[in-house]
Amino acid sequence: MFFRMIRGAFTRQWKKMLMIALTIALGASLATAMLGVMMDVGDKVNQELKTYGANITVVPKASSVIGNLYEVEGGESGETAYLREDELGKIKTIFWAFNIVDFSPFIDTEVTLPDGAGVKLVGTWFNHHLALPTGEELDTGVKNLRTWWSIEDGRWIDEGLDVYEPNCVMVGSVLAEREGLRVGDWLHVSAPYGENDLIVCGIFDSGDDADEQLYAPMDVVQALSDTDGYLTSIEVSALTTPDNELAERAAKDPSSLSIADYELWYCTAYVSSICYQLQEVITDSVASPVRQVADSEGAILEKTELLMVLITILSLIGSALGITNLVTASVMERSNELGLLKAIGAKDGAISALVLTEVILTGIVGAAIGYFAGLGFAQIIGHTVFGSSIAMKPLVLPVVAVLVLVVTLAGSVPAIRMLLKLRPAEVLHGR
Amino acid sequence: MTKRKMFLRMITASLVRRRSRMLVALLAIAVGATILSGLVTIYYDVPRQMGAQFRNYGANMIFLAASNEARFDLDTVRRGVACIDAEELVGVAPYRYETVRIHEQPILAAGTDLDGAKATSPYWHIDGEWPSARYEVLVGQETAEFLGLKTGDVFNATWSSGEEEEDVLNLGVDMKVAGILETGGSEEEYLYMSLSDMEELAGETEKLDVVELSVSASADELKAYEQDIEANVPDIAPRLVKRVTESESTVLTKLQSLVFLVTAVVLVLTMICVATTMTAVVTERRKEIGLRKSLGASDGSIIWEFMGEGLLLGGVGGILGSILGFAFAQFVSVHVFSSSITYQPALLPVTILVSVLVTGLACLLPVRSATEVDPALVLKGE
Amino acid sequence: MSLLELNNISKIYGDLKALDNVSLSVDTGEWVAIMGPSGSGKSTMMNIIGCMDKPTSGAVLLDGKDISKESAKSLTAIRRDKIGLIFQQFHLVNYLTAVENVMVAQYYHSMPDEKEALEALERVGLADRAKHLPSQLSGGEQQRVCIARALINYPEIVLADEPTGNLDEANENIVLDIFKQLHKDGTTLVVVTHDPEVGEVAQRTITLEHGRIVKDALNANFKEA
Repeated sequence: MFFRMIRGAFTRQWKKMLMIALTIALGASLATAMLGVMMDVGDKVNQELKTYGANITVVPKASSVIGNLYEVEGGESGETAYLREDELGKIKTIFWAFNIVDFSPFIDTEVTLPDGAGVKLVGTWFNHHLALPTGEELDTGVKNLRTWWSIEDGRWIDEGLDVYEPNCVMVGSVLAEREGLRVGDWLHVSAPYGENDLIVCGIFDSGDDADEQLYAPMDVVQALSDTDGYLTSIEVSALTTPDNELAERAAKDPSSLSIADYELWYCTAYVSSICYQLQEVITDSVASPVRQVADSEGAILEKTELLMVLITILSLIGSALGITNLVTASVMERSNELGLLKAIGAKDGAISALVLTEVILTGIVGAAIGYFAGLGFAQIIGHTVFGSSIAMKPLVLPVVAVLVLVVTLAGSVPAIRMLLKLRPAEVLHGR
Repeated sequence: MTKRKMFLRMITASLVRRRSRMLVALLAIAVGATILSGLVTIYYDVPRQMGAQFRNYGANMIFLAASNEARFDLDTVRRGVACIDAEELVGVAPYRYETVRIHEQPILAAGTDLDGAKATSPYWHIDGEWPSARYEVLVGQETAEFLGLKTGDVFNATWSSGEEEEDVLNLGVDMKVAGILETGGSEEEYLYMSLSDMEELAGETEKLDVVELSVSASADELKAYEQDIEANVPDIAPRLVKRVTESESTVLTKLQSLVFLVTAVVLVLTMICVATTMTAVVTERRKEIGLRKSLGASDGSIIWEFMGEGLLLGGVGGILGSILGFAFAQFVSVHVFSSSITYQPALLPVTILVSVLVTGLACLLPVRSATEVDPALVLKGE
Repeated sequence: MSLLELNNISKIYGDLKALDNVSLSVDTGEWVAIMGPSGSGKSTMMNIIGCMDKPTSGAVLLDGKDISKESAKSLTAIRRDKIGLIFQQFHLVNYLTAVENVMVAQYYHSMPDEKEALEALERVGLADRAKHLPSQLSGGEQQRVCIARALINYPEIVLADEPTGNLDEANENIVLDIFKQLHKDGTTLVVVTHDPEVGEVAQRTITLEHGRIVKDALNANFKEA
């Protein structure tokens, strides 16, 4: 009989039930979408912040970084240390390999142009295709690391296409103007260890001192400087977790940590732990965070996540109140029916069970619909804003389920209690 | 008693005596309006607040001397800086570079306004203290390692003008390492001191090498400043730091569109929630609508009475929501960005209008459908 | 000329003939009881007389005017101006006080007048309960408010649907006494009931069965008060 009554409620009051289910679905979809976006927003924004370029640089241990700000000449240290090119693939084998978005090696040398001007020639990867021992393949290089470069004329060097034309060079806009270089021009450069004719295939504007430099493929520069198989630095762009107190302690001296702290630190994508792991795989290297990028990333990520958390909480409260409201209203509305049930001798427990079963059944249907609608909303947000799907964390489903359950109960229980307190005669006589 | 008085009396009676039901509706509307005004306030404030966070990336504009002959001193810089809205200016740091000798090694030294550098380069990590006294300097980590200097060490620095005789006479200045600078970038090779210390060490000169500016403004605004300064102060060649400005506008646009979409989704769903609640509240009163009809009320007057209630609720809910929404936005701003929010006065009427419209519409549909029903059926009902 | 005239009216719901070719006329000042078991067509007839429904065929003349073809809108106007309704379930607006409930009828009709509304309550013996909400009133009191509301606009016909159906004997008598007084004052009364006691006190009793009038007789026991 119990089920018959419930079935009756659904078949005869389907309009009201539909309305409750709809409201619950709306609330649940809002909760799903917001929770989904909130939990993934860190990764997404992190990805976006990669446009600022590398957040880690790796240099040889024994060297001081060569090069200087604003072209003010400094002293040249005698012997230069190098990193080994054949170790580059190891970068994608560290614990946090998955978080390494891009990296690019650099080698630079001073070259002399035909008019006697000394210019810095930088050898690097542009869109280097890398097949890793793990079977993974990726394209990496400065094309991804220098997103702020705009190509004023010509094009990026394409390592895939330019195999047969290996002597391409990209020229900074200031240098190109000074030397009157245009795309297609041949440029003769001489270096201590050799000389070469390079063809200008692109002129770029970077807005910094790279505007006065030449960029060419690695092997071209290595040949000119007699450093085959060596490089001077590596820039690494990694997705990191904002630093906390533990990360700061570890950055100073990882050996000072307790074993538990060390494990936690090592297995969290702090910029310092990634640096540490890079040093482990690259012989005689020092990996250090680029503070300008790493710190700012941390601050922005933290703020964005906190902002989303607060907005999510607000919308959760909003949808919870919406659902509670409607459930309360719809239970109160049935005072006549419940009074009648009581009058014909139904026990309080039986009435409560009846109403609760109805509401919860409706809630489950609504929540299921809402959950899937919410997945859709989250993907709409992901695709519109970030151009990629939001990865739904598995945690979202149980959180939404518990939320809907608590909220529907919170909406119906007080209403039922209130109705049960009324005397059936009063209810039936109405008002 | 006039008809209008009776109209008001009925509406207030309905609102006051059906208190609990009306509170439910009012709560729904107020929550909706809170979300509306709160999120919209945040949406408008996000670029400003987030923009401030992006200033962590450091200078986004530099001044260079327009030519070798140009006057490029502090006064000129001041005139250039005057073109920028003072509220948007986060920091200015002029730099003068000289090569100094320490332990007979040539080291690059920069004289700057240290407070300005602190503001334009918030990412500088100092192991030790910022220099506060005369002859206190910051030493880049690379240089410190190279020279074997530690915080608190005192060293002698000399400056070479290039002429041998003078160098012999030059005894240099004793300087103290206030802190070691760590950035992960080329700044680590430098020595930083105040401009006045630099003058004492390397002699007075009007000439600056570069000025770094951190301006909290969008890429377009920065371009406008660039042109403005170029036109007004011909001695200065302003340049935008593309890496910072370009990236900032990409990321900031995305962030803002994120908040926009989230706001839109939350708002639409909240509106529907408010609407269903109002619909439930009105549907509950179908009997009363039938009764009024049987007493000879025209459809129009019934719709008006219910709309009157709805609009009143919407108005009160809207006002409540505006206040709560502002409080929420303020809370978010203080906790997330640690600064207070800019109040959008236009939002008050908009919030009230929207909540009135939504509740009005949410009342109108069910009331209309209720008035179409035969009163006899409604009154017999169930 | 009679105040209300039903000429060969039928009301058909699908296959069911709720009213089957019924004719009836009621004069001004008459007190008519319409009786019959459930499903006899009482309610349909009441709805048609009360301008809440239209017959499938036939004419309804009120004051000599055929209202059976009127639009819903003008039926509303006729209901407002000429008919006072009394319901079995009273149907008071639960958030308005007794006097306000009476005033609602005035409001839709012409002008609300609190003094007049209070006088109407006084006539049904509820002067001291005027400021009470329906929930604070007994069933009988609520029904009397309903009567006061029906009378406030001096309708040409007062139509009562099972007015005593929800009342105990004492309250039933009070209501019937009010009806007697109304009749004495010259009000036209149509009472739909299945309670013989209520039917007996009327001046004329019409009995319906299966949608037809089976009996239409003046009440021998009726005495003018």
